[in-house]
Amino acid sequence: MNVRSLAVVATVVSAAFVGCTKTEPPLSDSEVKAVFEKTLPSTVEDRIWERVPLHPAKLLLQDMVEPRLTQGSTSFVRVQSVTDGQKIAFRLSWSDSTLDDLPGPGRFGDAVALQMPAATTADVPAPQMGEQERPVEITYWSAIFQAVANGRKDDIHAIYPRAKVDHYPFEAASLKPGSAAQQEMAKRYAPARSLENPMAGPRTNPVQDLLAEGPGTIRPAEKSLSNGGGKYSQGGWSVLLVRPLPNGAQPGGRTQVAFAVWEGSHQEVGSRKMRTAWIPLSLGSAK
Amino acid sequence: MARVYNWQIGREMPYWYPEHRPKRQFAAVFDTNKCIACQTCTLACKTTWTSGKGQEYMLWNNVETKPYGFYPLAWDLNLLEKLGAQNWEGERYSGRTIFEAAQPGERVLGWRPEDIDYANPNVGEDDCVNGVEKGAHFSGVHKSWFFYLARICNHCTYPACLASCPRGSIYKRPEDGIVLIDQGRCRGYQECVKGCPYKKTFYNTMTGTSEKCIACFPKIELGMQPQCFVNCIGKIRFAGWISKPENARADNPIDFLVHVKKVALPLFPQFGLEPNVYYIPPVNVPREFLLQMFGPNVDAAIETYQNAPRDKDLSGLLTLFGSTESMVSKWKRVEEQVMGYDEGGREIIRVPLREPTHIRQAFDAARGVARTNIS
Ligand code: SF4
Ligand code: SF4
Repeated sequence: MNVRSLAVVATVVSAAFVGCTKTEPPLSDSEVKAVFEKTLPSTVEDRIWERVPLHPAKLLLQDMVEPRLTQGSTSFVRVQSVTDGQKIAFRLSWSDSTLDDLPGPGRFGDAVALQMPAATTADVPAPQMGEQERPVEITYWSAIFQAVANGRKDDIHAIYPRAKVDHYPFEAASLKPGSAAQQEMAKRYAPARSLENPMAGPRTNPVQDLLAEGPGTIRPAEKSLSNGGGKYSQGGWSVLLVRPLPNGAQPGGRTQVAFAVWEGSHQEVGSRKMRTAWIPLSLGSAK
Repeated sequence: MARVYNWQIGREMPYWYPEHRPKRQFAAVFDTNKCIACQTCTLACKTTWTSGKGQEYMLWNNVETKPYGFYPLAWDLNLLEKLGAQNWEGERYSGRTIFEAAQPGERVLGWRPEDIDYANPNVGEDDCVNGVEKGAHFSGVHKSWFFYLARICNHCTYPACLASCPRGSIYKRPEDGIVLIDQGRCRGYQECVKGCPYKKTFYNTMTGTSEKCIACFPKIELGMQPQCFVNCIGKIRFAGWISKPENARADNPIDFLVHVKKVALPLFPQFGLEPNVYYIPPVNVPREFLLQMFGPNVDAAIETYQNAPRDKDLSGLLTLFGSTESMVSKWKRVEEQVMGYDEGGREIIRVPLREPTHIRQAFDAARGVARTNIS
């Protein structure tokens, strides 16, 4: 038995003694270690996370392309990861004293994203959103999406409870609610929805799959394959993101991952964000 | 940043993209002296385009009373203050444009309105400067003043909204210069809302994208003027196409007003966007105020306008305002009649310089009664 497995035994034993109180996960300073598990955790509260190594990823200002972030906000995002050989799950948590999930003019939501090279090769594309013909895959979660997925109504009154609206043409008495004609009419006044812009909702999944080939090039991926969810408690967010392993990434192999965090109350949005460089990611295997 | 030429400030300036003018540029002239702030234009736009969820607060067209009216609140004051001194040397602007004054890390000098700033679209309505004392009466000079400023997107030659968008979701149509936000591509970063000095892009809370005035492009494509033009009660508006000054043609109505007569002026040309809505300045307002708002040619423009009764071409062209739903590409005056033609040269409108009038005597001698206004 080597020293490391001794340590694991010790952790398991101590966890057993402490019973249901939370144990701090072990630290992994130099890389994100995706631990192999047959079943992926489905929530941020899953007990698995107590023993999955935690990588504290230092966040830097996005100060390479305009518009830049010139004043720092969130300084670390804590990263844990688990893979089942097909998919990879990340638990991302960070401190945030304000919960920002209401959209509006001059108002932005908290958000987090992870980025992986679309192809797993020895050299990675530029960490700032990839480069032309060397795309990166981005899994994006937003607190605004989460609130809608959690049941916030698709209605202005959910945001401005005392709003007074005289009339919407698509709610005219002559249009049967929910009928094709009525929905068609509603879309006329929501062009982003007519064009199926994934920003426009309505949504049930708080996570978006995106592709990018450099700053300013983000576009929706062909298929939406990821999911997850976030919870705000005790002055911070914990977000679970589950996505397929990228092309060519094998259990037992290595690739890279990068993260970005947006602090809504600090008016962070788009390129105004805190972000990491590439971080090595080792993928555990079934042995 | 590229170097581009902006004729409204008489010099080159930096812009995010190289100069690339459309085949033709949509433009408009608004005669502020005729606006009565009835807001028919505002409602015409609202019912046509912004009756959806998330658009409740949006007014792509708005009319505000200057100097105390704003939508959104202090849209102009906030930026004027940030921009600092704005000096002109003749027709050359020697101060900084919003592209030149951009702070480190920013693409343009801008600011972000909050939702509350849109909450009082009619703030300052009819509030006049200097108040009206008891016994005040008009004796030829306006001692108190205000005026109505009708505003739409300026479909700028150098749009700050377009320059601000890090995703390239905003484009200027090569066929007519209309500036649009691609509703399929926008991700709602609101950089355009921050960047547009005229605050004419709006964030839609329900679709998560920003939206703006589209110059009623489906109508323009059919050769018709936008809704806010054809519904204008005061007939203050005229839509058409503008040329660069060196290509100006006197038979093009907009060129005639802007380049030949120089009676219509851009709004805050010093911002550097080459906006394409031109205003005939109000005659009753202190010149310093107008100088800041419309640039150094205000005095000459007002003099030309006040001379219109003696200038048959100018007064003739002004009678075409609000006379037809069609876009007038060319015009001509023959003696006491003014004709407007479409692009194909077909006559679409003919108006007399003066409507025939008949003045009846106040007393009807045949019936032995005094006439009233309604008899
Ligand atoms: S007025 Fe504003 S929204 Fe319109 S084109 Fe100019 S910068 Fe863009
Ligand atoms: S409809 Fe015409 S007159 Fe009435 S407020 Fe609008 S611009 Fe002014």
